Amino acid sequence: MTRGTVLNAALYLGIMAAIVLLLGWGKPSKVLGLFFVSGLAVGSLYALGGIGLVVLYRATGVLNFANGAAGAAGAMTAWQLAQWSVWPPLTWLACILVALVISLAYGRFIAPLLAWREPVVKAVATLGFALIILGVVSFLWSDDPRSLTLPTDKVGVVVLGMRVTVTRLIVIVTSIALVIGIWAYLKHTAVGLQMRSLANDRDLSALIGVPILRVETIAWALSGVIAGFTGLMFGDLIRLEPTVITFMVIPSIAAAICGRLEHLSLVLLGGLSMGVIESLLTLSPVLKGVRPIAPFAIAALVLLWYQRGNRLTFGGGD
Amino acid sequence: MRNFKTLAFAAGISFVGFAGQAFADPVCGMNTGEAASGAPIIVGGIHGNAAPGDFSASTDAAKAYFDCVNANGGINGRPIDYRVENDQWNPELAAQAAAKLVDDAGAVALVGNGSFMEMAVNSQTYVDKDIMVMASACAISECFETPNIVSTNQGPLPSNLGATQYAQEELGATNVACIGLNIPNNGPWSCKESISLMEARGGAGSMALLNPGAPDVNSALLEAIASGADTILMNLPAGLAIAVLKAAEEQDLRDAYNWIAPTPLYDLSVPAALGDYWDGAVYVNAELAPFSVNGPDAQNFLKVMDEFAQPDDPRDTFAQSGYLSATYFVKRMLEMDPADMDDRAKVSDAIRSISGYTSDLMCGPYYVGDAEFHMPNHAGYMTKIVDGGFEIIRECYEYDSAYFAPHIAIEKDLGLR
Repeated sequence: MTRGTVLNAALYLGIMAAIVLLLGWGKPSKVLGLFFVSGLAVGSLYALGGIGLVVLYRATGVLNFANGAAGAAGAMTAWQLAQWSVWPPLTWLACILVALVISLAYGRFIAPLLAWREPVVKAVATLGFALIILGVVSFLWSDDPRSLTLPTDKVGVVVLGMRVTVTRLIVIVTSIALVIGIWAYLKHTAVGLQMRSLANDRDLSALIGVPILRVETIAWALSGVIAGFTGLMFGDLIRLEPTVITFMVIPSIAAAICGRLEHLSLVLLGGLSMGVIESLLTLSPVLKGVRPIAPFAIAALVLLWYQRGNRLTFGGGD
Repeated sequence: MRNFKTLAFAAGISFVGFAGQAFADPVCGMNTGEAASGAPIIVGGIHGNAAPGDFSASTDAAKAYFDCVNANGGINGRPIDYRVENDQWNPELAAQAAAKLVDDAGAVALVGNGSFMEMAVNSQTYVDKDIMVMASACAISECFETPNIVSTNQGPLPSNLGATQYAQEELGATNVACIGLNIPNNGPWSCKESISLMEARGGAGSMALLNPGAPDVNSALLEAIASGADTILMNLPAGLAIAVLKAAEEQDLRDAYNWIAPTPLYDLSVPAALGDYWDGAVYVNAELAPFSVNGPDAQNFLKVMDEFAQPDDPRDTFAQSGYLSATYFVKRMLEMDPADMDDRAKVSDAIRSISGYTSDLMCGPYYVGDAEFHMPNHAGYMTKIVDGGFEIIRECYEYDSAYFAPHIAIEKDLGLR
């Protein structure tokens, strides 16, 4: 991270802290604590989704709108297997496996056909793929009330008056572990170096012999695993509804944008802060109606800040 | 899983068919056993079916009943040509669906409508075209507070009142927080009367509104708790209500509050989705007779569905409601002069004059009347989730609210009280 990036992150944190104070002003600290911790819990899911998106984007240049749908397909599969009394760990594994297969299938068979198209075309293609997956999932599982439960839901610790289950802690810890693990992977392994090379200049990487297909396949697989895990967590912690899980990718993209589709630690920071702000907006009688747009308003402001002084073109080149 | 259900039903269909024969055939309309062959009477129906919800159960059931009527002499020998449109929760499509049925097809009435959308878009059209809508799956104010729509289901406002009244009388509720959708003609509209009921009885109430687009329900739950409530009313579709209860389970809040809900939670798949934690702790109002109340209409409904519906069509409250609307429509049509059955104005007048129809599926009498509002169904049952099912804890009771004063006045005029 450059000095500028660190300063930007510090500025962002300062502004977020000010907003938190403003929204929580005059409220009992216990109430504020409850909403803060609740927001962190949701924000960690945004961050987790955002990390999966950034990992793929950095290696392939594809902003994958289908990540949420792959997670939804996985979560519904896990639920179905649980109904058939399959051993629970196998159902969780199946969730990740389904998302992995969906992600790999797209990455291996469809994405290469669009490899030389503009980023926006690649992104829109994944949106179409997401809608196809959602259609198939909605066909297979009708609109009935369902829920997914993990054993870790039963155990929790109290933080600032709010009980935080081990499942939520797993999400937060996994997000942080992924940021560190992927950073180390990109920095210290040959494939990581190749991924960074691809992210930097795909054409040049191809010329110097980087095995593009292999590296991209690894990135799609990694992204698929994260999507599956996110889908499982989302299905358990928020709602087991395919549409809701599919479109979870939207606030995740907002979190990814906070990290400029590049810095995983900033994605984590962005996701967590969006969750907190969204939650605290509930405390404002005037602003609580705009809660759902909070992540996008934050992402838009971050984009405006980043691009100050630049002239952006449609394809993304300055 | 719909396809697995279909396969299971396909495997069992021969048995079901045999069982249907072995017992009694459904009773429909004129019940002649002869297929109707005259000129069809065109009747429409509009439902919403797209993500995030499927409201097609009511039109599915209405269609099954009309098919049964057509196989049993129709309406004085004339079959019902039932045409169903899907608004897909899209206002433009909702308007197109109404235009297609009312203007192009020339439907004499709409029956079994179920949607969050189409009533808001089309209620004025129905007035302008003088067509009556005998709806079945309504959830918004326009469905109950406009002249040309009357529904067999209660919608959230009365069902909320029923749950709140029970909590106040039996569970010691003094402060109710209503968690509803932040849609003006749904959440605030239907929560408001429950708050008024609590205030009228010396208690307090508040609402925590949830934006339908927000994935997280935790904040609404926290807001409800922060209001100082002792009772949480989950005025939400089943999926969202389950999410609220899961969030409450995370906080281990079961024993700290009363948990009450209107009819959407009366769904046989809900107890399993909630799990053992909530056993005996969730109270749900039922706007129609619970499935264990196995009266003649309830049995006939199942027979009609078994014989004339698709195997995977739901047999839920909305389906019961669609079946009821269809039976009331057919009953009224059979009472009409056969020469008037293609005259929409006369059909509309006939529907408005419906009074005192009864069914074991509904607690009170069904009527329409010539009014600016219609809510004939404002009495119900109270149930509790126990042992993976629903136990009736209060039989038919009328909801007590000043909101119903004008409805009760009409009922007195019609001699129903």
